[in-house]
Amino acid sequence: MEIPDPIIRSRGLGRRFGKAWAVEGLDLEIQRGELFGLVGPDGAGKTTTLRLFAGLLSISEGEAWIAAYDLSRQAEAAKRKVGYMAQEFSLYGELSVMENLRFFAAIFDVDPQEVELRAADLLAFAGLEGFEGRRAVHLSGGMKKKLALACTLIHEPEVLLLDEPTTGVDPVSRREFWEILGDLNLLGSTIVVSTPYMDEADRCMRVGLMYEGRMIICDTPEALRRRLPGDLLELRPEDWRAARRTLAGMQGVLEVQTYGEALHLVVDDAGVRMPEIQARLEEEGVGIRSLRQTPPRMEQAFISLIRQMDTQEAD
Amino acid sequence: MSWRHLLAVARKETYHILRDRSTFILVLLAPTLLLLLMAYALTVDIERVPFAALDHDRSPISRSFIQGIAAGKDLDFYGYVGSLEEIEALLVRGEIKAALIMAPDFSRRLLSLEGMPLQIIIDGTEPESGAFAVDHVGWRAEQFLRDQLSAQLQAMGIPLDTLQPVDLRVRAWFNPGLEPRVDLIPGLISMVLGFPALSVALALAHEREHGTLEQLMATPIGRAELLLGKMAPYILVGMANVIFMPVLARAWFDVPFHGNFALFFLLSIFFLFAVLSMGVIIGVFMRTQAAALALSLLLIFFPGFFLTGIFFPIAAMPEVMRLEALGLPGTHYAIITRGMFLTGVGLEVLWPYAVMLIVLGLAFTGVAALFFRKRLA
Repeated sequence: MEIPDPIIRSRGLGRRFGKAWAVEGLDLEIQRGELFGLVGPDGAGKTTTLRLFAGLLSISEGEAWIAAYDLSRQAEAAKRKVGYMAQEFSLYGELSVMENLRFFAAIFDVDPQEVELRAADLLAFAGLEGFEGRRAVHLSGGMKKKLALACTLIHEPEVLLLDEPTTGVDPVSRREFWEILGDLNLLGSTIVVSTPYMDEADRCMRVGLMYEGRMIICDTPEALRRRLPGDLLELRPEDWRAARRTLAGMQGVLEVQTYGEALHLVVDDAGVRMPEIQARLEEEGVGIRSLRQTPPRMEQAFISLIRQMDTQEAD
Repeated sequence: MSWRHLLAVARKETYHILRDRSTFILVLLAPTLLLLLMAYALTVDIERVPFAALDHDRSPISRSFIQGIAAGKDLDFYGYVGSLEEIEALLVRGEIKAALIMAPDFSRRLLSLEGMPLQIIIDGTEPESGAFAVDHVGWRAEQFLRDQLSAQLQAMGIPLDTLQPVDLRVRAWFNPGLEPRVDLIPGLISMVLGFPALSVALALAHEREHGTLEQLMATPIGRAELLLGKMAPYILVGMANVIFMPVLARAWFDVPFHGNFALFFLLSIFFLFAVLSMGVIIGVFMRTQAAALALSLLLIFFPGFFLTGIFFPIAAMPEVMRLEALGLPGTHYAIITRGMFLTGVGLEVLWPYAVMLIVLGLAFTGVAALFFRKRLA
């Protein structure tokens, strides 16, 4: 049977816990070979979405397919094609690195003759060579995550679902982990990853922003950044406290955020407001080291989008 | 069902048992420790119960009577007191558990064969010691009477038997000395051998708590493969204990094993299967190890204590309790262990209980598999 693209598809997908909808009306298409990021605040429905596609939660409403399997009827069969890594994935601590890999290989019916070969490849890939005999409980946090990833890859899944794989991992390991994901993606794996980090969202081909159970936007990182209403200015004043006091609430200044000794100002129109801001600060005797327009960052785009949603709801 | 999956789970669980020290101790040594603890806690031999005497008679006969009472090591003579108030004070302070009061005409009535005016006061807050004192005073009083009066009676031409009109000779079969341990140990063994049920409930809850169960649910593993694979190593550990327990009973407590050991082993496997299935049900329903522990105590161990007939005869229970007792593997297994240890009976007597164990095991596993979903929440 020819497997149709997209590899993940849903129509009006919803999941309810009691009366509350954790995910609602989700229409999603993820193409084979994509690296797709799920972002959004805590409780937005990222984990529920991934669990639905992993076949761990029954569907309350709508339809979903993964790797050509209908998740409402063929969830068990779909599990063979999916590699799912739970957010709180903890390995079997009393088992060694190799024993963990062999365990998952057996559960996924990997040809016994091939297990050792694949395991060696995966360990090399994840930078875990030389740790084969070490018990998982004695690995560092970053190494545990890499081993967990190796375990979800042992059956060569068609699609990877990773739920916040780098939460609680130090920055260096985080970077290493993403390099591995990048390599996997280059080799053709489809990866769906949820993350609270905006720099990680930036590494994805497309990003879906979830908010209160709905996917409010789904686009490339660049397109998302362009959605920021108004322009972003970076101001480096002599005294950021005084500058902040002066500028907060000024007409045309939509937001003031502090970044160390710099201020990020979201304004409605950079061309109009830059001279006004300069004049106002001089008036108040606050020195300016630099003031320039800067491209919006993912984080600001998201915060603005979520604030918009909140105001719309309030209206 | 895939044997490879089942074996993978069983192997993983075995590593966990062998390598995690607390699990290892809990699973392998807990039954032995529990048996020793309970055997000693529950069969404390009462001896040296302290008593005082209030002697209103103050005669040589009353004094030698007290000496006779205090002769053995079962009762300890605290001393003579002068008043009831003194007795009360001593009882309240716990210095004595019983007191004997002899009437002023104690020796006169004794010698004239009118009886033995004797009062025993016991500490009602500790009825066991009190009852013990009553038994032993009665027994020694009878002896004293016989010794003191035999000559006199014979002189009067009255046969000694008139003092003891009922000639009741009690014989305790299968436990000739009526030693509490001999009857209790097999019952206790049946209870402590159910201990792996707690471990398997905890092991399942542990996986749920640590997120490894979520990971397993995202794999194609079958429910039966997972549950049976998890049970298997605990059954093996249980079997090791099944072999060890009769050895311990004989070497340490001097409790004999009269039955056919191979049969005992087989029936024990049935029991382990049934009781572990109970543990699996608990593990399936409980989200945390703390909850699993609490429910195991509530469903397996407390009923094991009170309902399986180890301490309280099932026949004396209200009907509802008797029905509940029938649903506990421990009830049937306690009968099997007692039978095999003490009377040495075989399948000809024990088959209904063996059948019940199999039925319960299958029913519990079925319930566990039915309610265990490879879905979250």
